[in-house]
Amino acid sequence: MGVAQRSRRWLVPVATVAVVAGVGALGPVVADASPKLPTITAQDLLAKVQTAKVDGLSGTVHSSTDLGLPAIPGMDGADGMQGASQVLALINGDHTARVAFASPDKAKVSILDAQAERLWTSDGTSAWAYDSSKREATKLTLPAHSKAKPEKTLPQSYDPQAVAKQILTAIDPTTKVQVSGTEKVAGRDAYKLRLVPKTDKSTVGSVTLAIDSKTWVPLDVTVMPRTGNDPAVELGFTSVSFDVPSASSFTFTPPKGVKVTDEKVPSKAERPHSIPQRPGNPSLIKPTKPGTANAGKPTVIGTGWDSVAMIRGAQTGGLTGGPLGQLLAKAPSVQGSWGTGKIVTSKMISALITDDGRVFVGLVTPDTLQAAAAKAPR
Amino acid sequence: MSAPVVTRGLTKRFHGGQVAVDAVDLEVPAGSVYGFLGPNGSGKTTTIRMLLGLIAPTSGEVELLGEPMPKAHLRVLPRVGALVEGPAFYPFWSGQANLLRFDAADRTADPKTRKARAGEALERVGLSNAANKKVRAYSLGMRQRLAIAVALMQRRELLVLDEPTNGLDPQGTREVRHLIRELAGDGTTVFTSTHLLAEVEQVCTHAAVMSRGKLLRQSTVADLRSELRPRLIVRTPDLGAAAETLQGMGVTELKTSEETVEGDPGELPIEKFAAALVAADVRIHGFGLERPSLEDAFVALTGEGFDVAE
Amino acid sequence: MSPSEATADAAVAVRPSAGRHTLALFISELRLVFGRARTQVGLGVLAAVPLLIGIAIKITGSEGGTDGFIGQIAGNGLFLIVASLGLSLPFFLPTAVTVISGESLAGEASLGTLRSLLTAPAGRSRLLAAKMVALAVFCLAATMTIWISGLIVGFILFPVGDVLLLSGSTVSLGNGLLRAFGIAIVISLSLLGLAGIGLFISSLTSTPLAAMAATFGTFVVLGILTAIPQLHAIHPWLLIYRWQSFADLLRDPPYWHEIVRNLLLQAGYLAVFYTAAWARITSRDIT
Repeated sequence: MGVAQRSRRWLVPVATVAVVAGVGALGPVVADASPKLPTITAQDLLAKVQTAKVDGLSGTVHSSTDLGLPAIPGMDGADGMQGASQVLALINGDHTARVAFASPDKAKVSILDAQAERLWTSDGTSAWAYDSSKREATKLTLPAHSKAKPEKTLPQSYDPQAVAKQILTAIDPTTKVQVSGTEKVAGRDAYKLRLVPKTDKSTVGSVTLAIDSKTWVPLDVTVMPRTGNDPAVELGFTSVSFDVPSASSFTFTPPKGVKVTDEKVPSKAERPHSIPQRPGNPSLIKPTKPGTANAGKPTVIGTGWDSVAMIRGAQTGGLTGGPLGQLLAKAPSVQGSWGTGKIVTSKMISALITDDGRVFVGLVTPDTLQAAAAKAPR
Repeated sequence: MSAPVVTRGLTKRFHGGQVAVDAVDLEVPAGSVYGFLGPNGSGKTTTIRMLLGLIAPTSGEVELLGEPMPKAHLRVLPRVGALVEGPAFYPFWSGQANLLRFDAADRTADPKTRKARAGEALERVGLSNAANKKVRAYSLGMRQRLAIAVALMQRRELLVLDEPTNGLDPQGTREVRHLIRELAGDGTTVFTSTHLLAEVEQVCTHAAVMSRGKLLRQSTVADLRSELRPRLIVRTPDLGAAAETLQGMGVTELKTSEETVEGDPGELPIEKFAAALVAADVRIHGFGLERPSLEDAFVALTGEGFDVAE
Repeated sequence: MSPSEATADAAVAVRPSAGRHTLALFISELRLVFGRARTQVGLGVLAAVPLLIGIAIKITGSEGGTDGFIGQIAGNGLFLIVASLGLSLPFFLPTAVTVISGESLAGEASLGTLRSLLTAPAGRSRLLAAKMVALAVFCLAATMTIWISGLIVGFILFPVGDVLLLSGSTVSLGNGLLRAFGIAIVISLSLLGLAGIGLFISSLTSTPLAAMAATFGTFVVLGILTAIPQLHAIHPWLLIYRWQSFADLLRDPPYWHEIVRNLLLQAGYLAVFYTAAWARITSRDIT
């Protein structure tokens, strides 16, 4: 065998690299090929979505957030900077959760953290929160009036249906709505409904919902920024079943060796603050209403895509040290009729922190933010 | 039956462009003990590696036991016992364990008889007592013998031995040479490389001479030697008279040194020269016919001393 | 006896194409790997991991103060297995795999035994296969050593009982042991990509130490790349990105998605580097 013949053997590993890379990179694309579905108008599709009703479902949801924020190590919502830090703490990241729902009032969400799990479950009469890393369980006694809407006790951001509905409520003359094709989501055929803001004040380029062609349940939400090709937010099912989960899957028996606390849910509108919330792992915010996550009572200024949330009481004076302080120190100072402050921008979110302790946040351009600040009550 | 080892135009050029083996055509007759002779660095080991398929020739062909190498190596090599470039073993294992491992690597070797065959091979090279000793504790001579034992684990048609007596003491050397003769007597073709002329003279039927990557000559040892005519050597203080007398009798290539006169005696019987010298009043201190050695043959072939390339 | 007669005799005496004993080399290879003091010391070190963790927890008597699996050991000895496996994965196990895989071909080349094996003839592809199988068996042996040691130490030092899963539900001890066993299997499979890299690097050189250093260097570089958030885009392609997914076996029900992805990635690495090692070893001049 000649030397040349021998060197030809290297074609084998080279071909293997090509195959492995090809399968790894293109495999999912081929699997997600567009299915053939009868055409449907955007209006019909929206109507179907509004009436979508399932008796139960279970599945796995994956969320991936890339808001273009700088990674800030050690940012864990320190004292005195609740509002600002919680908003800014939307770290880029991936989360996976198992969800299950059975009508009318059973629901369960388990967030699969690395080698840990946080779960919330409600079987209609009692609700539990459990954090495996701390091995602490919290029993939530549900107020009578919240019984009918137990999903309020859950972080809604993990329910694509809820997210989609909220976005749909924002549909008004400011938005172009179209059916932009079909795709496969979690193995199911789905229509793509594309919402494009008509305003150029928003940083949102488009929002695409994947809507199941049989149950009309939104399976996936993708938010594209105005600039760039990578989704800012992608939240959707990676697997889903519309079989009604058994009642037993919503019950929670506190295991031996687990600390159990009893708590009353103070109000149905608020997320129970006893839910174990890991530092550095904030849940997603709702794309249209940033700042609602944990911040007291924000005021919303404006409507539609360019609405801005105002949060009071951020103690910006204390932000001299730490990574967040450094970030703010580097941020450009701005001033206007509203006063002076610092502005922090990313490809999706802009935030204005005024010297008098107000924080304006929105999925809008910095100019829009300042305009909103000028209109805002002091 | 074709010759057990045949090469045609075998050439190896290393990456640096240096030609280690240059168009070598070998033909080893069946049943021969073939001495592959050459100084260190003459390309012997590189040739042997190509014979066994360890390295790829740059060009040329190798045929072993009638089959092309390295293409047919899985078929051919079980019939070939090999020792390449010094003994190599797992030092942390016993001699026996080493034999078992190399035998296990050959898928034609019967596992049932493996231990027995290892015992016999060790016996044959005189290592039975050291069979369970770690190779780490072996002397170089013992390792060399163990390496030969590896080649003897099976009945082979061809043995390819690279410097089999390297590092052995005189006694060990004698034993190995005896072993080679014995194996050859059983009908095994032995291809053995060496840089010791004496070894070829003592054990080989055939010889090839390598120098600087080129094959200078291959033939039977007898032919090689007979090509050189014996030389008449006269030790005498009367150099002039002796030379004159010999020249007068037709001796050619006369050479005179401090004490001797020598030359090619031609066809005349040797006693005639003695008588003539005595008659010419030449005082003879020594007188004789010297048979040429292989070393002379080598010098004649290469035009240089044997150790030049070392 | 004339030369031609001699060969005729020899040809008759040759064993009749005696069967095909392919397995012998593989068994011999296992003997080589596991018979070495270095391997046994390595496995001994791995066996000591659960013992040290167990004793440390027994002495400090920490009860539930610690997050994660370590915090559960005092309450249930079974978690000593899981915690030991988890703690060995980032460093001890890769180091062991690095040493053994770096040694595999370079070691034979440096001893010169590679020549003897190939003239035996072992066959280059078959020798490579035997090396890889021995490496895979070593990966399994390494994790099983921890599993068994963890089992013994955990059961001696701590109470055992029903197993609390990450999802907050409880399964029987038997089920828990089975899951811990599954974790050991998943972890040993997770090491195969690295073993493939080590085998390939080992085929490039005749210096085992250089092969080990280069393999470990590659491992460290992959680790560093995995830790840089800006390289997010290539992370899913990195060898150790999903190594920690073994814990998904402790969910109820087990979450397979990440584990499967991890194993596919390992298979990809193994395929690439094994074929590269094959191309190298079958075309290499053995000196």
